Amino acid sequence: MAAPVLEIKQVSKFFGGLAANANVSFSMEEGMIMGLIGPNGAGKTTLFNCITGYYPPSRGEILFKGRRMNGLQPDQVCKLGMARTWQKVRPLAKMTVLDNVMVGALARTNSLRVARQAAMEQLGVVRLAQRAGALAGGLPIGERKRLEVARVLATRPEILLLDEVMGGLNPAESEEIIQLILELKRGGLTQMVIEHDMKAIMRISDRIVVLNSGEKLAEGLPAEIVSNRDVVTAYLGEGFE
Amino acid sequence: MTEFLQSLISGVLVGGAYALIGIGLTIIFGVMRIINFAHGDLLMVGTYITYFAFTLLGIDPFLSIVISIPLMFLLGAFLQKVFINRVLNALPQNQILLTIGLGLVMSNTVMMLFTSDYRILTTSYSSSSVRMGGLSISTPLVLSFLVTAVITAFLYWFLLKTDTGQAIRATAQDREAAQLMGIDVKRMSVLATGMGSALAGTAGALILPTYYTFPQVGSTYTLKAFVIVVLGGMGSVIGATLGGLVVGVAESLASYFTSSDLKELFVFVLFLVVLLFRPAGLLGKSRM
Amino acid sequence: MRAGSPSCAPRGASPLPVVGFLAAAALLAAVPAFVQSPYALHVMVLLFLAIIQGESWNVLGGYTGQYSVGHAAYFGVGAYVTLMLLQFRQVPPWWGAWAAVLLAVVLGLVVGSITFRLRGPYFVLASIAVAEIVRLVVQNWKSVTNGAEGILVTEVPALRIGGHLVTDFTGKVPFYYAGLGLAAVTVAVNWAVQHSKLGYYFQAIREDQDAAHSLGISLARYKNVALAISAFFTAWSGAFYGIYVGFVDPNLLAVDVSVQIVLICIIGGIGTILGPVLGALVLVPLSEALRSNLIAEGLFSLGLSPTSRTGLFLKENLAQAHVLIYGILVVVVILYMPDGVLGFVKNLARRRAAARGAAAAATGGAA
Repeated sequence: MAAPVLEIKQVSKFFGGLAANANVSFSMEEGMIMGLIGPNGAGKTTLFNCITGYYPPSRGEILFKGRRMNGLQPDQVCKLGMARTWQKVRPLAKMTVLDNVMVGALARTNSLRVARQAAMEQLGVVRLAQRAGALAGGLPIGERKRLEVARVLATRPEILLLDEVMGGLNPAESEEIIQLILELKRGGLTQMVIEHDMKAIMRISDRIVVLNSGEKLAEGLPAEIVSNRDVVTAYLGEGFE
Repeated sequence: MTEFLQSLISGVLVGGAYALIGIGLTIIFGVMRIINFAHGDLLMVGTYITYFAFTLLGIDPFLSIVISIPLMFLLGAFLQKVFINRVLNALPQNQILLTIGLGLVMSNTVMMLFTSDYRILTTSYSSSSVRMGGLSISTPLVLSFLVTAVITAFLYWFLLKTDTGQAIRATAQDREAAQLMGIDVKRMSVLATGMGSALAGTAGALILPTYYTFPQVGSTYTLKAFVIVVLGGMGSVIGATLGGLVVGVAESLASYFTSSDLKELFVFVLFLVVLLFRPAGLLGKSRM
Repeated sequence: MRAGSPSCAPRGASPLPVVGFLAAAALLAAVPAFVQSPYALHVMVLLFLAIIQGESWNVLGGYTGQYSVGHAAYFGVGAYVTLMLLQFRQVPPWWGAWAAVLLAVVLGLVVGSITFRLRGPYFVLASIAVAEIVRLVVQNWKSVTNGAEGILVTEVPALRIGGHLVTDFTGKVPFYYAGLGLAAVTVAVNWAVQHSKLGYYFQAIREDQDAAHSLGISLARYKNVALAISAFFTAWSGAFYGIYVGFVDPNLLAVDVSVQIVLICIIGGIGTILGPVLGALVLVPLSEALRSNLIAEGLFSLGLSPTSRTGLFLKENLAQAHVLIYGILVVVVILYMPDGVLGFVKNLARRRAAARGAAAAATGGAA
C-alpha cells in the first residue's frame, strides 16, 4: 500500500467552547476520491479550512506527503499543492473569467503569456472558454461554480478539495460536474468532495467519511456507509430504520 | 499624591463627557454598521451652539443643553436621511469616505462662518473648584459629570425599558431579523443618528466650559471617540461608557506624567494599539 | 470591460496606449516653448503634482483595494526629509530626495506590517491614525524639524552634471520638466504594474482577499509591495513639492492633504490609469479658480454686485473655501459617481449600447 498523500491525525478545532472538529482522523491515497458528508454543522468546511491553512487546527496534525501542514498560510498550502473551492463561490467579480483563471495560473508562473495559455486550457476543461471575456460577477451560479473549479485547477494542485461544488446547480449542471470530477480522477488528481447530493457522492467516491457534530461518525465504502444505521440516524434523526 | 489623585479624578470626570461621545458613536455603528468619521465635527457643532447660546443669549452652558440636544438631534436625522441612508449598501471604504466628506463640510462651513479663532467660554464658576476630602476639583468638571450621569442613566433606561429603545437594540443586533419582526429599520437608523449626534453635541457642550473650541477641533475628538469605542467594543454602550472613563483617566495621567503636547500623540498610539490587539474591544463583544 | 482591470490588457501590449502616452508626453514637453506665462506653467506643475499623487495612491487604493487616508505621511516625509537635508546639512535635493523617499518606503513597510491585518474601514482608520502620529511627531520634535514653524529653504544649489550647468532652479520651466518627467514615470509604472503579474495579484486582493490568499497569493507580501510603490512615488511628489515651494510645515501632513489625494483618484475613477489624470484635471483648476478668486470674478461679471453682502463674503472667503469644496466633492462623488467620472461615462456608454441593442432587437428580427 502506497504512503498516504494526506493524513488527518486526530484533528480538533475549537471555537471558544465549541468543538467544530473533534478528534477527526483519516487518510487518503493518491488518486482517490474521498467523499466527506454529514449533516449541516458537522464540521466539514471547518476541516477544509484547517487543511488549507485558513486557520490552524487546535489539536492534531495534518500531513501532506508526510509534511506537517499545521500553521502554514493558505498561499503556502496552495503552492505546495492543495487547493480548495468555496462553499459560497468567490469569483473575483470585477475581473473577467479569463483573468480569474489567470490569477490561479500565476501561482505557477510569472509570465502572463504562459498564464493566459494555461487559463484558456482550464476554461476548456470546464467548458467555459466561450465566456472568457465576460465579467465574473455577471455569471449565473452554474458558470460561477465552473469558473471556480477552473481557477483552482490552474494552480495545478495535487489534492483538490471541493466544498459543495454542486450546491445550487440543476441536474444537468451537476452531471457535468460529476463527469468533470471523474475525468480529473482519471488524470490522477486526488480529490476530497463535500457534498449533500447523496447520489452524486455514492457515484464518485472511493471512500466516504461521515462527520457528525464535529466527530468522525463512520468511514468506509459507499455501500457500507449507506447501510450504516448510525449514519442514517444522524441524517434523519431517531426513529428511522 | 494630592496632585496625582486630583489628576485621576479629573480624568474620571472628563471621562464622563468622553463616554457620551463614545456612546453616540457606538449607537450609530451598532444600528447602521457605519463608521461615522464626522462624529467629532458633530461635537464641534455642539460646542458652537453652546458658545453662541451663552454669548448671544446669556444661557448657561449646562442649561443650554436643553436647546442643543434637539438641534443636534435634528442635524443628525437630517444627515442620515439625506446622505448616510444612501450608502448603507456601499463599500465600507466609501461609507467612511462619505462621513469624512461630511465632516470636512461641517468644519469648514463653521470656519467660513465664524473664522478659525479659538472660542473660550468663561462662566462665573469656570475657575472655581469644589473641595472634597482635601482635594480640589474643578466645578465645571463636577457639573459636567453630574449631567453625564443623568443623561447616561436616562439612556440606559431608554434602551432597556422602552419599546423604541429595545427596537433600536434589536436593529443593532440583527437588522434583517428586526425588519422581519415589523420594526421600521429606516426609522431606527434616523433615530440612532439623531441620538448619536445629540450625544456628541451634548459632550461638546459639557467640554466647552473646560476647554476651548475652534472649527478643526473635531478631528481630535473623532479619533478619541474611536479609541473609546474600539476599547469598549464597537456597538457596546456599556463598553463605550467604560472606554470613555478609561480614556479620560489615561489622558489625564499621561499629561500628568509628560507634557500635554504628547497627550494627543498618546491617544493616537493608544488607538493603534487597541485597534491592532483588541479590535473587538476590551469586553470582547459587539452588541449593545 | 473596465479600463482598469487586466481584462482590458490586450494580448502583448497594444501600441495604442503607448503611442498615446508618448504623444502626450511629447506635446507637453513642447509646451514651455510656446507658453511663457509663469502662472500657466505653475498650474501645470500643480497638475503634474496631483497626477503623481493620484497615480501613486491608485496602486494601493485603486488596484489593491486598501484605502489609505493617511498618504500625507509619505508626502510629508518626502518633503520634510529633503528640505531638512538641504537646509540643515547642505545635501543637494537630488540626493536628499532619494534618502527621503527611502525613509518613506521604510515607514510604509513598517506601517503596512502593522496595519494590513485590518480590513476595510478599520484599515482606513489606522492609516489616518498613523498619519496623525507622524504629523504630531514632526510638530513636536522641534530640535530636528523646527516644529510648527516649518523649514524655509534659503538656497537651492544649481544642478551641474560634469561641469555643465543643467539648471539653477530659477523660474518655472525646470520644475515644469521635472514635474512632467515624474508624472510620466509614475503613469508608466502604473501601466507596467497593471499589465504584470503584480497587477493581477493586486486586483485579486481587492476583489476577494480570502480567495486570493487561497490561490497562492501572499497577502502580506503583495500588500506591502503595493504600499512600497505607492509610498515611493508619493514621497517623490513630496520631495518635488518641497523644493518647488521652498517651505514645509506640519500642515503638509494633515488629514485634508490625505483626503485631497484620495479625491484625485475617486473623482476620476478608482483603479484606472486615466482616472487620476482626469481627477487632477478637475481638482487643480477648481482649486486654483477658488484661490485666485476667479469664481468670484466670474460671478461678478455675471451681474452679482461686488459690494453686496454675498459679493463681499465671496471675495473674502472663497479663497479659503477649497477644503470645503473638497468635502462637498467627496460627498457628491461618493453619492452619485462612486466610480468616478470615468466610471460614470462608461456606465452611460454601456447603457446606451444596451438600449440600442434592445431597440434593434425590438424593431428588426432577422439580421
